[in-house]
Amino acid sequence: MSYKIEIQNLSAWFGSKQVLQDITMKIKENIVTAIIGPSGCGKTTLIRCLNRMHELTSGAKVTGRVLLDGEDIYSENVDPVTVRRRIGMVFQKPNPFPMMSIYDNTAAGLKLNGVADRHRLDEIVEKSLRAAHLWNEVKLELGKSGASLSGGQQQRLCIARALAIEPEVILMDEPTSALDPTAAAKIEQLIRVLAEDYTVIIVTHNMQQAARVSDFTAFLYLGRLVEYGSTKDIFENPKSELTEKYITGEFG
Amino acid sequence: MRSYRFRKLQNRIMISLAYVALIIALIPLASILIETINRGLSAMSFSLLFEEIPPLGQPGGGIGPAIQGTLIVVALASIMGIPIGVFSGIYLAEFRQSHIASVARFLNDVLTNVPSIVLGIFGWALIVVAIGWSVIAGAVALAIMMIPIVTRTTEEAIKLVPMTIREAAIALGVPQWKTTLTVVLSSAKKGIATGILLAVARISGETAPLLLTILGSRFWFNGFTQPTAALPLAIFNFSQSPFRAVDLPRAWGASLILIFIVLAINIIVRYATKEKYG
Amino acid sequence: MSRIIDVGLEELSVLLCRMGELTYETVSLSLKGCLSGTKVYSQVREMSDALVSMSDQAEDKTFELIARFQPVASDLRTIKSYMKIAYDFARYSRYALDISYINEQLGGLKECEEWISEYIEKMSEKVLNMVRTSIDSLRSHNTELAKSIAKTEQEVDKMYFGYLDRLIEKAPATSKCTISSVLIIRYLERIADHATYICESVVYLATGEKVTLR
Repeated sequence: MSYKIEIQNLSAWFGSKQVLQDITMKIKENIVTAIIGPSGCGKTTLIRCLNRMHELTSGAKVTGRVLLDGEDIYSENVDPVTVRRRIGMVFQKPNPFPMMSIYDNTAAGLKLNGVADRHRLDEIVEKSLRAAHLWNEVKLELGKSGASLSGGQQQRLCIARALAIEPEVILMDEPTSALDPTAAAKIEQLIRVLAEDYTVIIVTHNMQQAARVSDFTAFLYLGRLVEYGSTKDIFENPKSELTEKYITGEFG
Repeated sequence: MRSYRFRKLQNRIMISLAYVALIIALIPLASILIETINRGLSAMSFSLLFEEIPPLGQPGGGIGPAIQGTLIVVALASIMGIPIGVFSGIYLAEFRQSHIASVARFLNDVLTNVPSIVLGIFGWALIVVAIGWSVIAGAVALAIMMIPIVTRTTEEAIKLVPMTIREAAIALGVPQWKTTLTVVLSSAKKGIATGILLAVARISGETAPLLLTILGSRFWFNGFTQPTAALPLAIFNFSQSPFRAVDLPRAWGASLILIFIVLAINIIVRYATKEKYG
Repeated sequence: MSRIIDVGLEELSVLLCRMGELTYETVSLSLKGCLSGTKVYSQVREMSDALVSMSDQAEDKTFELIARFQPVASDLRTIKSYMKIAYDFARYSRYALDISYINEQLGGLKECEEWISEYIEKMSEKVLNMVRTSIDSLRSHNTELAKSIAKTEQEVDKMYFGYLDRLIEKAPATSKCTISSVLIIRYLERIADHATYICESVVYLATGEKVTLR
């Protein structure tokens, strides 16, 4: 198993406030890696650095390297737009484009990037909706508004939309926080299935979710990487006392 | 218990006051509409709409050229003003922090409050002096009037588009400029259309700039570099004419038509930007 | 879509089935060796060690499932039962080892009086059947089959005490036979007990009912 993403000495700032301190970790391919930690520990900032979305905020700064298949995505000649086509993202609150149909939402990434061939779009839309386990529920209503779906379905639509551009990595920022438990469980099962074809990195404030869903877990605290290991080890026998305290609920 | 009843009474008094205020506010509006519709309808006829403007006091004829003139000048002004206004609004919304943006925003706000007659003089000095009383001069003056309104409302409409929609598009690998021009603009289109409507409705009824630019005429449209008639001017002239019996009804008719045009624009634009999914 | 925990449960179930088959082989081999006098100690040792290690693996897996997946209801009962059963399977093999050790050290039952080896052969058959029953009832979560072991358990118990009585009565000459046969029959009885425990766990796993099949 190889490392899809290598993070080397990554630090990030919002203006003068440093939010990430010298993070170094290697993320394996085709597994689910979870990032956990109390509020404000920098986990969302960390994944937003992986697809170069952190820098969109005014005053944001990043130093360090992030290697995708060995190449630094922050190097001078790399266009952030191409990085984001290889590393997709799903957000906490489902955000389908409100004025587009389910079909158009799924195909949005492709259409906005110039793909016009109807045939190819049809194919990819179906493939993506199937991969997001949403096809059977919407196949007869592809023209309906994306916003007319339930919360869980909307999130799966957003996942389908992200899958349609055929990324290699999928970042998920607390993907089930805004959903009810049943919908959340469906997404968790979906995440495990997705890991077979993609490298999935998920941020979650729900430790039990990280325990269920991930193969590797990273624990962040106040911007530092405290511990990183297999989920089994982290949850049965963490090496750091801080990790133990967080996991057993003593703080956070 | 006593204070509860007192509070209920207070509540009722407040609500009643609010209602009364509302009615008072609506009275002028209602009476304008009612008067205009009443008197305008009685002056309405086929010939009113389609015949040439007769000299003051002469019966017969209509205000056809005025209708045509208004439509042409407003259309030309819109063609010039809307794109400039919308793109300025987009610029201000997207480059919020830049120095140019702050300066531009300030100038924009000032321009919104410039008296329309000043814009008229500007149009006169710029164009009439060069090429004479003309439709172009009028359109330019009205366009300058339109731009700040459209710019401001476009900027607001775009600012209202939630960050989540932008982020969703950017995360799909869509460059920022494309995100703005497609997804963001699409989301904001209702707001932008409303702004445009406001602006168009506003300029349709402006009289002062037209006085100093298109001059007015009794005849049909004759070329962009020639003067032309317009409804506000027609209303002004007819209502001030000494031949009240003949001309006043024409003024009311013109008023009704003007209101009708604005209403029609309203409905058309709302329909065109109707959200497919309400 | 199956639940995330199902993958882990399946792994555990497969591990237990493998343990079941291996432990049956172990007990069967040991008993055959002891009745026919062949030296099987090292083989049995190897198999028993493998089973102990598999039991540790199963325990490990159980704890991982609990830590990671917060199992409840039937999942939790299943995991609890699996852990106990894995331990019981390992115990089978330890008793089989003890039996083949006696065989190795004291020469087994071939040189003993016929009635002794016949008696023990009969009891071995019964006990081996109980082992088979326990494994089969686990594989298919068959509560009927599991409960049927109660009858055989009583028979084996009777045979155990019956033998002790006969021995006291007959007081045979060779002391080697006395000691080895008593020890072997004791281990056989313990194997039978564990078979019963396993079946009780199967019933608990399937129905949530805690029964006593002794």
